[in-house]
Amino acid sequence: MRRPDLGDLTAHVVAFGRALREHGVLCGPGEIADALRALERVDVLDPEQFRLALRTTLVHGHHDLRVFDALFPLYWSPFPPVSSSQEDGEDGPAQEAASEKGQLSMERWADAEETEGEQEVPGYSALEVLARKDFSTFTDRELEEIGKLVVAIARRIATRMSRRMQRARHSHRLDLRRTMRLHLRWGGDLPELAFKRRRVRKTRLVLLCDVSGSMDIYSRFLIQFVYALQEAVGNVESFVFSTSLTRVTPALRSRTLREALDRLSRTVPNWSGGTRIGASLMQFLEGWRHLLDPRTVVVILSDGWDTGDVEILHRAMREIRARSGRVIWLNPLLGSPGYQPLTRGMQTALPFVDVFAAAHNLESLRELERTLAARVRRTGRRE
Amino acid sequence: MSRPTLGNIEQILQALEQEGYIADREIATAIYLSIELHKPLLVEGAAGVGKTEIAKVMSQALGTDLIRLQCYEGLDVSTALYEWNYPKQMLRIRLEEGTDRTVEEKEQTIFSEAFLLRRPLLQAITHHRAPVLLVDEIDRADVEFESFLLEVLSDWQVTIPEIGTIRARHIPYVVLTSNRTRELSDALRRRCLYLWIDYPSFEKELRIVLRKVPGISQQLAEQIAAFMHLVRRLDLQKVPGVAETLDWSLALLRLHRDHLDRTSVEETIGCLFKHHEDQRLVRGPWLDAALAAIHEAQRDGEGLARALNRIERTLKA
Repeated sequence: MRRPDLGDLTAHVVAFGRALREHGVLCGPGEIADALRALERVDVLDPEQFRLALRTTLVHGHHDLRVFDALFPLYWSPFPPVSSSQEDGEDGPAQEAASEKGQLSMERWADAEETEGEQEVPGYSALEVLARKDFSTFTDRELEEIGKLVVAIARRIATRMSRRMQRARHSHRLDLRRTMRLHLRWGGDLPELAFKRRRVRKTRLVLLCDVSGSMDIYSRFLIQFVYALQEAVGNVESFVFSTSLTRVTPALRSRTLREALDRLSRTVPNWSGGTRIGASLMQFLEGWRHLLDPRTVVVILSDGWDTGDVEILHRAMREIRARSGRVIWLNPLLGSPGYQPLTRGMQTALPFVDVFAAAHNLESLRELERTLAARVRRTGRRE
Repeated sequence: MSRPTLGNIEQILQALEQEGYIADREIATAIYLSIELHKPLLVEGAAGVGKTEIAKVMSQALGTDLIRLQCYEGLDVSTALYEWNYPKQMLRIRLEEGTDRTVEEKEQTIFSEAFLLRRPLLQAITHHRAPVLLVDEIDRADVEFESFLLEVLSDWQVTIPEIGTIRARHIPYVVLTSNRTRELSDALRRRCLYLWIDYPSFEKELRIVLRKVPGISQQLAEQIAAFMHLVRRLDLQKVPGVAETLDWSLALLRLHRDHLDRTSVEETIGCLFKHHEDQRLVRGPWLDAALAAIHEAQRDGEGLARALNRIERTLKA
């Protein structure tokens, strides 16, 4: 194997590593060092060996492979770009017109606030929201109130799941090691048995929040819910979608809600666009399927207005249902008087939903909390 | 610490091939670098693409032992690392009942190496020569276990409170596999070299079938590989892996089929699809169209490999 001097190569590898990092790949000095060590051991003049040596050392996950494959030919152009197998001519994210929105419940949000006294209700038109994502009109008091409720709800969702998991297996196991020690201490027969308890396993929450045009008037409210949920339960992954999906977990990890909202409005494309729930959920499944397991609770916040393919939505919901522990759909429209989930999207999704509840104002969140609490008690008694 | 290697990438390809594992350069390179750089190899990919196989053939090719740790939910340190031999301890305590040794002395006896049961991780680091340690389906283990494993993989030593620290005699070759049922920690990922195994290409699957199913005709093997390639593009609940391909090929051979037609597929469909819905989907009109296209391409001598993309598009339409 040829082992030429790698001196000038090093700088390029470092630069390439930086490019990967800029595209979100965890690639630090350790990886670079590994890559250089690897290059010493392969034939760097063989394009394939060169590429594979970098690919094996610089990348640690399947998502990152795609980034690598896209960047590699750009950086190492002397090598012929690797044919990126079958790139189907799928239709691109067609920009769709925002569907009509269900403004009906706007007033109800205002109504619910009345209980809080003569506090000012943020009145804004859908137009204004479309123009600029300004989340700052929330009063601190509102934030606080919603925050508290949301924490309660989040805990409810989380404990319910872990309890069920706990009952499913022995929660106590004999701790032989400690028993043996006790035995020694007392010299004779087993004086008492030492037990150990399995740690309660935490539930993972996956939140998928619709921020399309039809959801506009609720979006900022829901985002707040998502933020607080992420705060309350450690293990939360959050996504927002309209015509496509964006992971917002890191953005929501900001110290304050305001900061989070700020970062969000800057990072999320397609805000207030049309809705393609099915395609967005598919996108979730393609990139993040591994987040789903029987301990995952999936919460979808959407009004079910889907301008995309219902067939795709059906497939996506079926798979999400099959892979996760529980699917909760929060629909802000459910709070409107006389609302029937008749939209095609909602009809398609409903069979795969465990809990279908409203989420359009504080009152509905309280209601949701009660529903979940009641369920815990009921199942508790039955067993 | 001696750690034999497998030579260069070319030699690894050959060695794997000799052990009956059809590898491509990507897999060979990953194995090669894992051995050369002394780093664990994390292998991810769908079920049935041959992730676990890698550790097995590595151990055979290296002529060393394979120590396997199968992960599952609730796997804990005592199952993975060591456990005390309680019955033996109990017996010793009984035997020493009459003696006037102090509790401390007794304790020292029964918590010594003679009473230690070595579980896979401890076995791996105290083995008389560097073994291949397979940590299978690490994604099924809990997060706590993952961090513990990370510690072992970093330090190559474990501490048993009653005995002390045990350092590795030889650093094992480590292969971790994951089906991605949950996300692994970045820390663990970064300890490892990464290999993603996809479903095999048509050519690779054909080679696997020809190699692993002796007596199969070239024609049937090609049809099988093409069929597998096409069927994996369907919206299935459970996509069949290479293991299923081989089961199916053997079944067809047993039934003395020399080509694929609707009857032979229907008779053996259980080998490939373990979901009723999947079976129904495949049995539909898709099957006739796919079989017709495969036969046609083969008749024309077009070469199935080249025809596949075209067939795929026609089937989609």
